[in-house]
Amino acid sequence: MAMTRREAFKNLAKGSLPILAAGCVSAGLPEVAHAEEENVAPKGALGLLYDATKCVGCKSCMVKCSEYNDLQPDTRQDGIHQAPPALNYFTKNIIKLYRTADGSDHSYFKQQCMHCIDPSCVTACMFGGLRKDVDTGVVWWLGSKCVGCRYCEVACGFHIPAFTWDCFNPKIVKCELCRDHIAKGGKQPGCTEVCPTNAVIYGKREDLLKEAKSRIAANPGKYFEQRVYGEHEAGGTQVLYLSRVGFDKIGLPDIGEASIPHGLHYSHMLYKWMALPLALFAGMVFFAGKNFKDHSHHLVEDQKKTGLRPQL
Amino acid sequence: MTRWERSVPVYGVPVITRGFWAMLALIVVGLVLTAIREVVGLGGIVSGMSDPYAWGLWKTFNVMVLTGLGSGGFAVGIAAWIFNRKKLHSVMRVALLTSLLAYWTGLAMLGIDVGRPWNFYWVVWPFTWNLRSPLLEIAVCIMLYATVPLFLENLPPLFEYIIYEFPSFRGVAEFCEGALKKVYPVVIGLAYILPIMHQSSLGALMILGGNRVNTLWQTPFLPLIYVWAAAFLGYNCVSICLLLAKLAWKRDVDPEVMAEMNKLTVWIVYSWTAFRFLDILVRGKILHVFTDGFYSLLFLTETALILGSAYVLSTEKGKKLGTMFLAHVCCATGGMIYRLSPTTLAFQAKPGATYFPSAIEFIVSITFIAIGVLVYLIAVKKLAILPGSNADWTKMAKYEEQVKPGIQLTGYAPVEH
Repeated sequence: MAMTRREAFKNLAKGSLPILAAGCVSAGLPEVAHAEEENVAPKGALGLLYDATKCVGCKSCMVKCSEYNDLQPDTRQDGIHQAPPALNYFTKNIIKLYRTADGSDHSYFKQQCMHCIDPSCVTACMFGGLRKDVDTGVVWWLGSKCVGCRYCEVACGFHIPAFTWDCFNPKIVKCELCRDHIAKGGKQPGCTEVCPTNAVIYGKREDLLKEAKSRIAANPGKYFEQRVYGEHEAGGTQVLYLSRVGFDKIGLPDIGEASIPHGLHYSHMLYKWMALPLALFAGMVFFAGKNFKDHSHHLVEDQKKTGLRPQL
Repeated sequence: MTRWERSVPVYGVPVITRGFWAMLALIVVGLVLTAIREVVGLGGIVSGMSDPYAWGLWKTFNVMVLTGLGSGGFAVGIAAWIFNRKKLHSVMRVALLTSLLAYWTGLAMLGIDVGRPWNFYWVVWPFTWNLRSPLLEIAVCIMLYATVPLFLENLPPLFEYIIYEFPSFRGVAEFCEGALKKVYPVVIGLAYILPIMHQSSLGALMILGGNRVNTLWQTPFLPLIYVWAAAFLGYNCVSICLLLAKLAWKRDVDPEVMAEMNKLTVWIVYSWTAFRFLDILVRGKILHVFTDGFYSLLFLTETALILGSAYVLSTEKGKKLGTMFLAHVCCATGGMIYRLSPTTLAFQAKPGATYFPSAIEFIVSITFIAIGVLVYLIAVKKLAILPGSNADWTKMAKYEEQVKPGIQLTGYAPVEH
């Protein structure tokens, strides 16, 4: 049967629309499923256990971290010393000291990416420039998908991702658990490899959690609140902390137990299957079409009276 | 009493004035500074941004606040086309132009603010989209909105300009106008759903700020409250433009249309405020309104400016043009503070961290506002944007016919379809 060109286009549109719609829906499916089973760490989730009571503040871990990650020393303070004031684009890992004014109490502490189970930065990232490894749960940066919008920095409740501010080709710099080093055959990250007191150790998250709990059980009263920071915080993190002094004293925020992306739950519901936006769109096109007809009629009537060209 | 019947260009006024040159000079300076930013990056003297405060003026003000102010295109449009408030058709062109300029300059600022803009091409490749990201939703919707429906909606004045001024292209322009009319309902459907989606997602952005956004602003309903604020900001912006036209070029004001705009502004503000307080009440944070120091003060300032202005607009006094103008300016100020609060004023990124924009950030930010203003001023003088009466059009036609012999602006017989 012969078809006019117009009909052909019409049929093409009819045929491709469901395919497009199906594409959108199927692309959305894994995401929706992911949202529902959040807060479960991947089976092979790797992490760190840092015990602040064992840390002697030697900063060997910072040196090894720079070496394995090819980071330049941050000598900006006096031009001589490697002395980063905080995590920044020279520094993926830092040891700091908490000390009361009169010196009566002190504790060293380590900062690096927490590798959240439901990371806010990964949720924030538009095209998957920050991504969570499916097997190990390590959160890492893929430069070819990063637009440099810095939403990850705004979204991270632990203040981890750092941006190369002084560069026309900036990067997001953060701990990736020495992912590249391990891929090249390394046994473990730099920080755990060199730590002389085993204050920070590397392993599977479940093993580390067991180890942490056994330390708490073996030393009643030693650890703050007899609990592991990171077991539940922000929906659980793959880096776990034990401390004698309060967690708030050593830079660990009181962030709550719900994962931060969970706050978007309601918004995501509104977009499920794109049903609500599409329904709204259809409704508006319907009423707009109806009112547009009236309005066009009115314009023609007006022109008859005035002789002025109608304006849309 | 004047009635707004059709859009009429501002005629007999030079386009190139002293103000024009001043703005152009500022724009040149701003663009040079922008070039410097592209070479040296965002650090150092370029911006006051830092890792804790990773978003500065360019995103939080030029994008998140000013696109709110440029929401007239959809806020007034929905009332006119969907809820059939016929009087508002006369101000649609102003609303659409302000929206277009706010969005395009906002998008330009976004491109300058991001660090790796060359990777933005992924936006056309849906398989890389992270559908959980509010920013992805914004990126896709804003791009689509600014380049398709909003752009198409702004074409009719341009077509008319070609029809009147360039008779040899008249056929092409009329054909395009006719084609646009055929798809117009779908275009406006898109032009309303997309902003509703991305203006609310702009609020959803800061949900990931968690408890670092003060509790008076942080709520699961932040997206709804944010898009609702954009609605009244759109009305404020359009009203301000119309009243400024009266001030600058003595354009007559149609009191009925303004009354309609004010009525809608008032109801949007009342419902917005009620919902906001209800949300705070249900979350059990109502005491924070009075006991949270700076944040309480900020919250009360916002509320007072917005609610107070709406109240003034609803009274008899609000019918006087001067008072009406001030009320809209105050309301817009309050609304803009509200839109800035979750990202900046009420956002404690990290204990001890602060942010204050650098001089370059201020200048570049103002530059892109100036570009918008400059294009607006040229457009209203060359194209039929600002509303006037049929009599105004006839007067304009007489004037133009003397200046440009052969131009035909009146005496069109209706075409039967």
